[in-house]
Amino acid sequence: MIRPEEIKMSSEETGKWGMVIDQDICTGCQACVAACAMENNVTFVGEVDSGYGRSMHWIRIERFWEGEYPEVKMTPNQPMLCQQCGHATCEPVCPAFATVHSQSEQLNLQVYNRCVGTRYCANNCPYQVRSFNWRDYERPEPLPNQFNPDVTVRRRGVMEKCTFCIQRIHKAQDKAKSEGREVVDGEFTTACAQACPASAITFGRIDNPESLVSQLGHRSHGVKHLEELGTLPNITYYKGG
Amino acid sequence: MSNKFSRRDFLKLTGVGAATTAILTGCGPASRYVKREPYMQMPEYNYNGLSTFYATTCRECAAGCGLIVRTSQGRAIKTEGNANNPLNLGKTCARGQATLHGLYNPDRVTDPMKGDSKITWDEATQVVADALKNNKPEEIAFLMGTAPDHLFDFVSDLANAAGINVPVRFNALSMFESRATLSKAAENLFGKTGLPFFDVGGAQIVLSFGANFLETWLSPVSYTRGFAGLREAQTKMRGKFVQFEATMSSTAGKADEWIPLKPGTEAMVALAIGKLAAEMKGVSASAFEGANPEDAAKKSGIKLEALEHIAEMFAHSGGALAIPGGAALGQSNGLAVAEAVLALNALADNFGKVGGVYISALAPMQTEYHGPASAQEMQDFIKNMADGKFKVLFVHGVNPVFELPAALGFKAALKGVGQVISFSTFPDETAAEANYVFPDHHGLESWGYQRVATGAAQPVLSGAQPVVSPFYNTRATIDLLLAAGQIAGGKFALTFKDEVEFLQSKVAPLMNEADGFFSAPDINTFMASFQQYGGWWKTTDGRTVPAAADVLNKSMSGAESKFAGEGEFFFVPFVSPTLAEAGANKPWLQELPDPTTTVMWNTWVAMNPKTAEEMGIEDDDVVRIVSEFGELEVPVYKYPAIRPDTIAIPFGQGHTAYGRYAENRGVNPTDLLGQNFNEAGDLAFAGVKVKIEKTGKKKPLSRLESIMGVYGVGMGEEH
Amino acid sequence: MSDKKAHSHEEHLREKHLMLDPLPRGKMNEMVMEAMMEPPTWKFWLIFGFLSIVVAYGLFYSWARLIMEGVGLAGVNRPIYWGIFLVNTVFWIGISHAGTFISAILRVFKAEFRRPFTRAAELMTTFGLVQAGFSIFMHLGRVWLAYWLMPYPNQRMLWPNLHSPLTWDLLAITTYLLSSTMYLFLPLIPDVAMARDRSTGWRKTFYKILALGFRGTEGEWAHLRNGMNIFAFAIIPVMFSVHTIVSWDFAAATRPGWNSTIFGPYFIVGALHSGMGAAIAVLAVIRGTMKHMKYFIRGEHFDAIGKLMLIISMAWAYFFFNDYMVQWYGGDKWTQLLLHFHEAGPMGWMWFGMLICNIAVPWAILWNQKWRSTPWLVATVGIIINVGMWFERYIIIPVSLSINRMPFTWRMYQPGIEIPLGIGTLAFFILLYMAASKLIPLIPVWEVQEGQMAHEFKKFGRETVVSVSELE
Repeated sequence: MIRPEEIKMSSEETGKWGMVIDQDICTGCQACVAACAMENNVTFVGEVDSGYGRSMHWIRIERFWEGEYPEVKMTPNQPMLCQQCGHATCEPVCPAFATVHSQSEQLNLQVYNRCVGTRYCANNCPYQVRSFNWRDYERPEPLPNQFNPDVTVRRRGVMEKCTFCIQRIHKAQDKAKSEGREVVDGEFTTACAQACPASAITFGRIDNPESLVSQLGHRSHGVKHLEELGTLPNITYYKGG
Repeated sequence: MSNKFSRRDFLKLTGVGAATTAILTGCGPASRYVKREPYMQMPEYNYNGLSTFYATTCRECAAGCGLIVRTSQGRAIKTEGNANNPLNLGKTCARGQATLHGLYNPDRVTDPMKGDSKITWDEATQVVADALKNNKPEEIAFLMGTAPDHLFDFVSDLANAAGINVPVRFNALSMFESRATLSKAAENLFGKTGLPFFDVGGAQIVLSFGANFLETWLSPVSYTRGFAGLREAQTKMRGKFVQFEATMSSTAGKADEWIPLKPGTEAMVALAIGKLAAEMKGVSASAFEGANPEDAAKKSGIKLEALEHIAEMFAHSGGALAIPGGAALGQSNGLAVAEAVLALNALADNFGKVGGVYISALAPMQTEYHGPASAQEMQDFIKNMADGKFKVLFVHGVNPVFELPAALGFKAALKGVGQVISFSTFPDETAAEANYVFPDHHGLESWGYQRVATGAAQPVLSGAQPVVSPFYNTRATIDLLLAAGQIAGGKFALTFKDEVEFLQSKVAPLMNEADGFFSAPDINTFMASFQQYGGWWKTTDGRTVPAAADVLNKSMSGAESKFAGEGEFFFVPFVSPTLAEAGANKPWLQELPDPTTTVMWNTWVAMNPKTAEEMGIEDDDVVRIVSEFGELEVPVYKYPAIRPDTIAIPFGQGHTAYGRYAENRGVNPTDLLGQNFNEAGDLAFAGVKVKIEKTGKKKPLSRLESIMGVYGVGMGEEH
Repeated sequence: MSDKKAHSHEEHLREKHLMLDPLPRGKMNEMVMEAMMEPPTWKFWLIFGFLSIVVAYGLFYSWARLIMEGVGLAGVNRPIYWGIFLVNTVFWIGISHAGTFISAILRVFKAEFRRPFTRAAELMTTFGLVQAGFSIFMHLGRVWLAYWLMPYPNQRMLWPNLHSPLTWDLLAITTYLLSSTMYLFLPLIPDVAMARDRSTGWRKTFYKILALGFRGTEGEWAHLRNGMNIFAFAIIPVMFSVHTIVSWDFAAATRPGWNSTIFGPYFIVGALHSGMGAAIAVLAVIRGTMKHMKYFIRGEHFDAIGKLMLIISMAWAYFFFNDYMVQWYGGDKWTQLLLHFHEAGPMGWMWFGMLICNIAVPWAILWNQKWRSTPWLVATVGIIINVGMWFERYIIIPVSLSINRMPFTWRMYQPGIEIPLGIGTLAFFILLYMAASKLIPLIPVWEVQEGQMAHEFKKFGRETVVSVSELE
């Protein structure tokens, strides 16, 4: 249970929601990718477009190689998703205020219906985690029955990206509010974290030192990607090994 | 209070009270479902954003993970793992997530079909009734999927009652898992049949011989949890993991050490490690006596020091575990490999201990282990078909035309069967060959239960219930068989009113079992809880300890395996971790990149870059691969982590039917396999040698990764 | 003897310099009118018709498809979110620069050789900006909402984001388009007034409206001169700011290869480089195809612009080198990878092509006065420079976007519908010029006459000297 007095004033530096990803146990099984697509109405684009770098994955698992056969090693799988930067490079460049910082949640929001599709934010994102709706990809009937009614379905010409499942955050907050309490750590989580069979992804309040994600995040060898750019990312990675 | 209302309010996860039972009993079949309404027309007791959650079982593979499905206005929106289910503890794999793309697939079989024309369910029932009545019982055969589920029980009961052939279970996954070999080895060594369970999570060092337990092997979600436990470094030492495999699977990609041994030398290497470790431990073990580490090192291509190092780790670790599986067993000497590797566990003395080997708990209502058919048994089955011994064949939950190697001749043998009736939900290859297709509901529209064969400590029965009303004019196969049985009369007329009554009769004995997760005074209350929690399981460990007594004194053979065919390359087919055998028609599974190559929407052949270079083959060049049993053409992926004398092709694509997303995409590597079995009857799928020919064609593979960024292609000379 | 010599020297100067070769005003007016009114030949109609088809297909039909089906028709992908549309935007803005440069800067500095072609150059500014506008709107994913980028009062108090370089860009380009159009229009007034007095029918009505009742009184001239002076001075900072701001679209981003402090002046010089090249090509075409134009546009003009081109080419080379060195010594690993990728990657031919077109060719040809004064040769150099400058923008945008800090996402770019659309904008640019040549006087007659009035030969003893008097 998060008690209000334990929560520091949320600021860009500390962030509010955060994630810890343990690359040592990520098996690269793609369950998070599928879970994210199902939860957030992410479209599939087909063979040609996906081969041309137009797949819409909000989360992708990167892996590289080290060494040469037979001493070759696959580097630890690295799930790459929006880092929900405290000081995001995507935000200032959007001319239409379609990508903005949420003051209350300390997240980077993408306002689909304000987006005119300049794609500047995606260019400026050092993590390259934004997906653009290059076309109106066909999802023949009855596939649309699966759509999550809590999440907007995006049309062509609109940028999208990981939201930290903000619809789940709001649902949990609303529920807690109606029951007159605070949101409990672990009460809900993002689709990717919930699916992950290895529990490599942990999500929660990083401004609450009691939460699991804070405690995991304070281990010694965590890495924040491209921190040197001053983006203040809210995801900590453990390479392990 | 309407029936609709009762289901809606009482079956959701929260709040099943005693009062509900009475109302529930009164529900007819029609009231099982919440009606699908447009989101614009919300009934007054619901409002936008409020969801109903149902517990059910995932039918994408035979593991039997529990699901909680979020529904809204009668639509299934999202699947999550059932946190109560001891098998998956709230987790799912990618296929479990994408099961909704099966439910709402645009290419489902919508009506009962006779050839290409729709017929009514009355006509269909008559067809089944006639098939049962007009043929001798021994001329009626059932072929079903691997999952030991309620339908299997029903057909077994029907077989018992009417004297028809006992149903045969088969699936490509069980073939590539080499389940028969594993259980046979357990039987040989422990005198007791059953699926071994490997407690990866509790181990300190894991040697895996080809077992791709992080992908599709046996129960991937449960084993992945075990792997996370192995790596857990907070409360114990971080466990070490060594994988012996000719090509780096995504499981091997997670290993601390990947040992690319020569295919066919697994038994030799396992025994050599055993010998070295036994010497270090000062244990005398006659099982390993015949081994010669120097020779094994030379033949397998592993450095002797590496073998010694591994043996040392294995000998001195407090929690050593060795796992046999996958391609290591799919060879002519697969049984010997399985026995040799299991013997390593006897050396580590880990039977029945944390981080060791168990025999999986038998599921509730199960008295002995009953495995799916091996490929050799399938060949006998096919022979019976071809010889005209079966006049009618019912196929459910399996697509043998696609899943069995074409060389085994299932498709041709279908011509020998008078009448083929498929219950397939999707227009798959077998349904295309069938005389009739009487589509069953999709798993999420169905009642049922599924016994969990392995993966959980306790005996688990995962329960299934429809989470949405059937989308199309489909019918539960049990309901169809019951109705047809009534018409056929005689021994076929079982007394159940419908599928649900059959289920209740089956689970009723569990009410009186001890150590149940819940209990109830009467069947209605019990069923309500069964549906609410998504099954029933015991609270006690049901695994048994293998008899370790004389394992180390058995004689073991470390001879190299034999390979079919003349080619210069070892051929390793493996199951695509994202598609598996039945995922190709789900568009989001197609769009998931393979964990090792990141290829989407197609099949590739993995070749060592040096070999490819020597042969003048580039990425995306289409090559023809020829084996003794067949040939296929497939684009090349220069894969840096595969032996130069080995190629690997994923299984999962190459459908000729099965809907728009699956059809005419990629190739099926079983085309290269044929009548080549090991001693346990499993297909020696990794025991084939192949030739590679250039075709001069090119087919660009869709990759998520950048060839430039990952392999430096096109970055200029220095990079 | 010396008298004769002096005479021939004078003749020589007269032949060479338009300003020293005056014609009666009536005659000159007639020449310009004739050049404009000359009935179009079948060749004109053939080219006009062909370009119209190209515009209809390449620009309008393809654009309609792009809007209906989405930007997926273009070659953009992850990570190359910006492609040829923005290359073309920068390219056309660059072209539009030379117009203002020639017209405003040379006017402010009273460079006399500018006089006959200020109009042609100003037209280039406006027409180029139209293409730039088209290109940037093609780029948008949802162009039908483009007005959201403009500050307009609305109930929700939603304003464009003033932090975004794209907002500055849009404001700068709009300002530039409006001011350059006005700056084109002001000097046009006396000429359309002249045309109004010499035409009949619909043309008379047309010019009457455009001339705003200009009668050529002293007061009107004073006002006009004031206005033109204010604009000539005011538009120079606008011009510099526009291309600086265009460069900020890149320089203000966090991408390797873009984050360069010298991009502002580098882009301005680059814009002038391509603009001068385009201007000289346009002049060569006008001179070659329109009646009487050999009188107005002479070798001296090609010579003068050629000199400018040479200097600008040197400046561009300096800035390019400077940019490259600063980035290279910056030592950032991603930038170094990118620079390596520029020259050694699959688009290396383009990188070398850029250096050849932008530096080697102009330096090899423009140093020689004779070659410099040969219209077709200088025009060819101008076109080659434009190719080089297009390459430069292509390297800065899609080629540089291939490389970022996430090597897992690196990709190459293959243009799709950008090609017909790009050709469409080029065709439209030429089409607008062709239409303009038939509708408005391409030569600012009053400006030429003003210059000729100011120039005269004066004798100091035996020497004939050219003197220029200040008119204003």
